[in-house]
Amino acid sequence: MIELRNVWFSYVDNRYVLKDINISFERGVTVIMGPNGSGKTTLLKVASCIYRPTKGEVIIDNTPYWRLSEQRRLEYRRKIVYLHEKPILLKGRVEENIAYGLTIRGYDKREASKKVHEIARYLNIVNLLNKRASDLSIGEKQLVALARALVIDPEYLFLDEPLSHLHMSKRERIIELIRSMKNKIVVIVTHDIFLTLTIANKVVVLDEGRIIQIGNPQHILKKKIIK
Amino acid sequence: MYNEVYEITLRSLYISSFATALALTWSIPISIKIATMKSDIRDAIISMFNALFALPTVLVGLLLYMLLSRSGPLGSLGLLYTPQAIIIGQAVLITPLLVSLMYEIFIKALSDYWELAMSLGATKGQAYMLIVREVLNDLLSSSLIGFGRAIGELGVALTIGGNIKGYTRVLTTAIALEVEKGEFEVAMILGGLLFVVILSIVLSVRVIRGRFK
Repeated sequence: MIELRNVWFSYVDNRYVLKDINISFERGVTVIMGPNGSGKTTLLKVASCIYRPTKGEVIIDNTPYWRLSEQRRLEYRRKIVYLHEKPILLKGRVEENIAYGLTIRGYDKREASKKVHEIARYLNIVNLLNKRASDLSIGEKQLVALARALVIDPEYLFLDEPLSHLHMSKRERIIELIRSMKNKIVVIVTHDIFLTLTIANKVVVLDEGRIIQIGNPQHILKKKIIK
Repeated sequence: MYNEVYEITLRSLYISSFATALALTWSIPISIKIATMKSDIRDAIISMFNALFALPTVLVGLLLYMLLSRSGPLGSLGLLYTPQAIIIGQAVLITPLLVSLMYEIFIKALSDYWELAMSLGATKGQAYMLIVREVLNDLLSSSLIGFGRAIGELGVALTIGGNIKGYTRVLTTAIALEVEKGEFEVAMILGGLLFVVILSIVLSVRVIRGRFK
């Protein structure tokens, strides 16, 4: 479980983007919604331990993450993957890109290649493996970035608008994939109400850096419509 | 004459190469430092560097002359009118340009690749390695642009180099001298050579950018 306790975050002195956030992410899929600029991406980055909160604690499995030594933090970080909204690929071939997370974990080339091919087959992107990452379309880049995140088989998966650049035919496969991860902690930022209704166990609504609603998707969406 | 032209060209190349290498030793850490600062301080500092690269080269030469002349604070080093003085002068001259270019590279790299590496479970060392790998060709392109600025400048080389034949004469100071003497043909040959050098740099930058995508 990942828990945020009294978390505040600011990029610039005293201008808080997140204000007194208290939330826990349990097994299953949590969707974070809210208007642009409400702090969704920042919340995702703080929860995935990329950003250190200005105030408050991030607790992973009852351990305050930022109080740990660098070595212990690395152990936890290796269980977490955050996927950027804008896919960032490395220079070189797609296969090397997908294998990056495995390479830094010490996998040998053959083992890494086997895992890369497995995930590529699942996402139907085997034909891209030998292409240069810079030659891909934005949708293909998003799939490659997703493959690179999933190949690690993380315990905690944080996805920022994972379907935003994908074609309908690919979206269904990804939704199916996310659904199959009910035993992991998956947190997704999205504006997509269909995706929310389809896969969310819990919905968190943010506005101006504060959580204004938490509940199941039907409950939240009904309330929003009534409002 | 051709021997002298050859010698001047070689001297220009090695002086500007050393100047670029010297400038890189401080420009890279300075630009990383600025890129990791808080945004308001960062903007003020980088604006200052942007303004500095518009300084006239002769003014930079004059300031360095005052530092290196016998009565100046660094006069005891005896560097004035030596190739080393031109190397230092060109290095100082291209620093604002290199810092501005490299700051842009590092600010993007730190926000993109650092976060990416961290989000995929890299150690800090692995994250730095990734950044270096991803920005290497951009750094090389910036260095070549800096080198182009160094080899094409006149003010510093003339003021603190002195245009001494066989010792501190470089392409730009030689062109200026030949024009003064009315030897336009020689000046044009030297100018052509300088143009070829700068053109090669521009082409190299294009090749590097195109190749390492």
